Amino acid sequence: MATTMTRPPIGRLRAAKAPTVLEDELPGGVHSVFVSRRALPLVELRLVVPLAPDQIRKPALTSVLSEALFAGTERHDRVALAEAIEGLGGRLVAHVDEDRLVVTGSVLAEHLQRFLELLTEVLTVPTYPEPEVRADSDRAADEMVIALSQPEVVARQALRRRMYAGHPYATPLPTPTALKRVKAADLRLLHQSLLAPPGAHLVLVGDFQAPRARGLTEDALGKWLRRKGSRDSDLAATGTPRPGPLELVARAGSVQSNVRLGGGAPSLSDPDWPAAALAGSVLGGMFSSRITANLRERNGYSYSPRSSFRHLRAGSSFVLAADVASAVTAASLVEIMYELGKVATTGITEDELELARRYVVGRFSFETATLPGLASTLAGLAIKGVGLDYLVKYPKGLIATTKGQVDEAAQRYLGPHGLATLVVGDPDIVRDQLSRVEEVVVRQP
Amino acid sequence: MPPRRQRHHFERAVLDNGLKVLVVPGPSDNLIGVSVVYDVGFRSEPEGRTGFAHLFEHMMFQGSANVGKVEHIRLVESAGGIMNGHTRADLTAYYEALPPSALELALFLEADRMASLAVTEENLRNQVDVVKEEILVNVINRPYGGFPWIPLPALAFDLYPNAHNGYGDFSHLEQATVEDSEDFYTTYYAPSNAVLTVVGSAQPDEVFALAERYFGPIAHRPVPDHGPWPEPRLAKDRHQALRDPKIPQPAFVVGYRTVDPVGQLDRYVVYHVLANVLAEGDASRLRARMVYRDHNVTDVGCMLGTFGDDDYFVRDPSLFQVVVFHPGTATTEALLKAIDDEIGRLASDGPTKEELARVVAGSSAEAWRNLDSILGRAHIVGSLETIHGSAELIDELPVRLGAVTSADVAAAAADLAGQHRAVLELQPAKS
Repeated sequence: MATTMTRPPIGRLRAAKAPTVLEDELPGGVHSVFVSRRALPLVELRLVVPLAPDQIRKPALTSVLSEALFAGTERHDRVALAEAIEGLGGRLVAHVDEDRLVVTGSVLAEHLQRFLELLTEVLTVPTYPEPEVRADSDRAADEMVIALSQPEVVARQALRRRMYAGHPYATPLPTPTALKRVKAADLRLLHQSLLAPPGAHLVLVGDFQAPRARGLTEDALGKWLRRKGSRDSDLAATGTPRPGPLELVARAGSVQSNVRLGGGAPSLSDPDWPAAALAGSVLGGMFSSRITANLRERNGYSYSPRSSFRHLRAGSSFVLAADVASAVTAASLVEIMYELGKVATTGITEDELELARRYVVGRFSFETATLPGLASTLAGLAIKGVGLDYLVKYPKGLIATTKGQVDEAAQRYLGPHGLATLVVGDPDIVRDQLSRVEEVVVRQP
Repeated sequence: MPPRRQRHHFERAVLDNGLKVLVVPGPSDNLIGVSVVYDVGFRSEPEGRTGFAHLFEHMMFQGSANVGKVEHIRLVESAGGIMNGHTRADLTAYYEALPPSALELALFLEADRMASLAVTEENLRNQVDVVKEEILVNVINRPYGGFPWIPLPALAFDLYPNAHNGYGDFSHLEQATVEDSEDFYTTYYAPSNAVLTVVGSAQPDEVFALAERYFGPIAHRPVPDHGPWPEPRLAKDRHQALRDPKIPQPAFVVGYRTVDPVGQLDRYVVYHVLANVLAEGDASRLRARMVYRDHNVTDVGCMLGTFGDDDYFVRDPSLFQVVVFHPGTATTEALLKAIDDEIGRLASDGPTKEELARVVAGSSAEAWRNLDSILGRAHIVGSLETIHGSAELIDELPVRLGAVTSADVAAAAADLAGQHRAVLELQPAKS
């Protein structure tokens, strides 16, 4: 019953049309971006601010602030504020990482003005009530206990420490004890500097006319925009990570090992970036990658091995991640080293380049096709100081990249010798196997 | 002013072999979404073969007559597309989103694996290993992994289809044979047991013609039995405590039964509103009380369905779940009492007018957000057509939610308060 079918063509490679962006500086030094997208009656908002080095080094403080920001204002207590926001079909949350604080919002378009007024209230007259802050810091501590029990969180944190030694980015996640010690007065002080208008970026994407939304935003946020303040968030560039011996982070009883290799990568504005993105995709950035074919489809060692890039203000990184059964930890590492070494020494094929090029161009158009996807992409570019014409230049750069450039990027960034290697796993099961492959240093988490 | 109503346009055809074809053209940035939803899930697995439906989902990427092992994915990726698949209690969905120029390719790929899947001993053993790794990473090595979707149905239901572990026991996965695979494929992957959906920048006539060309030659096979497997509500309360040395803090889930999600949809949506009144957003009753007033839980949430994301994609029996993570400063009994109090208050007074309006605004915004991603839209539309025979529900559900009254919510709360329930606790290692 299996008839032979001719395969239809895969179609022409075409970059998605880039959106029209209204980019402007609002009073108070707020960089603003408005994009009209009218298919759904929603507006998506990002307010993003860079962390200064001393703020990055106090993650307990920034992380409790991201919870307690909505704990109350002079006009609303926490529940009343939540009622007001939810009544608009709205959501407003904050999140902090080692680089920035982001306020993420979404609302029915018809209620945008009221939503922005509530945001203004949160930014200008937050109260950080003592009992609420105490409860929030206790809860943040409980959440951290749960997070730290997750092996991938342990692995991420350990890799950060390895890759960014000496830089503020190496700061570990806050301990539960440090979180419990956070005081309301500290948050009020931090709020003044962290959420001052200068140097903040505001992105709105959704169902509006951009110039009208800009006017409405300037009005609704007026009280905040008129706030004086200054910001010094200069951050030294991250150095190139030193590879060093394999670090085995002990997790007794683990039935799997989380294998991670990390190194430096070109920034989004670096001319090497499109070539590196393509090299990374061929290696492990898509399902049809060498790492997936090897570890998953050939050997059955891992469910979802993958590589990815991460771009922060002060530096970019490449990370290869594979969660594998304990018994095949060393065997998996050998295959990973082989694939990294192979791509860094013999490059990729023309067929692989074409596939990766089409995939990465296509993937980028999907990432920017949804309201939250586009808003987050724009906010991410803005905070790193990357021009928004990246939306056009990146796909163009991908289309123009040659095999020679990709091979060169693979040599420069993907060679196993330049990467820091770590494994989170049960030392009793994996230490001996790994010692046969590399020098191993065991560390407690 | 009521929020804008969405009105999609739905075009349908049925091929001679029984394949249902659905086209929902809609605004998108010049992209299309394609899904094939098969009416088979965990609940149809043979006894002794737990986890088979999900394992089989993996096999669907292992090649067919004109497509090599994992070439399906390579072709989608090389067309600039993204794809995935998932298995739930009552359905298995495959979906991809691509530029419109790749419509024909997507239909060819889906048709080829519906017509002529190539399962070999070698690729079956390979995927058994991959699925075991998936279970290690998502369940066995992960604190709270598989909670509550694996242990709760086991406690709350008695019939094998509803109660067993859908990820599967390792011993069952290891025993899976090529012959099992062929039987499962012949029975459940018949064209008459599937819905093909295309959403986005597509012309219905073109889709119907291409569907006829690629899927038309597949032979008709009878529609298999796919439940439902209704079972009576619990005759008395059930309680189980599981100890898990990996977890740092306790957690528990309360499982109640809802009405039939398909046959009594108008009443089922009331449980959705009730779930949001209780635990959606910081102003909701349980969050405001337990998280922000009593400070004795880290997180509390309510959901419908058996898996967590299958509220409208599951047949009878379905569950209403209250999930609580807490630091152990209060006893489970005390926390259950707080939940009982809030459900009891709603049963006697119903939500306030403002509360109901807020939940309706939130649910309506949520319904729009769910349609934002074209990949998501492709499988949501196909799944509603499969379970309810009505893709139109993407437009109608927000309207039905908006029509729910305070008295309706009170009645649903009274239904929960008056029934026997299953309480499943997870406890950390004894210190």
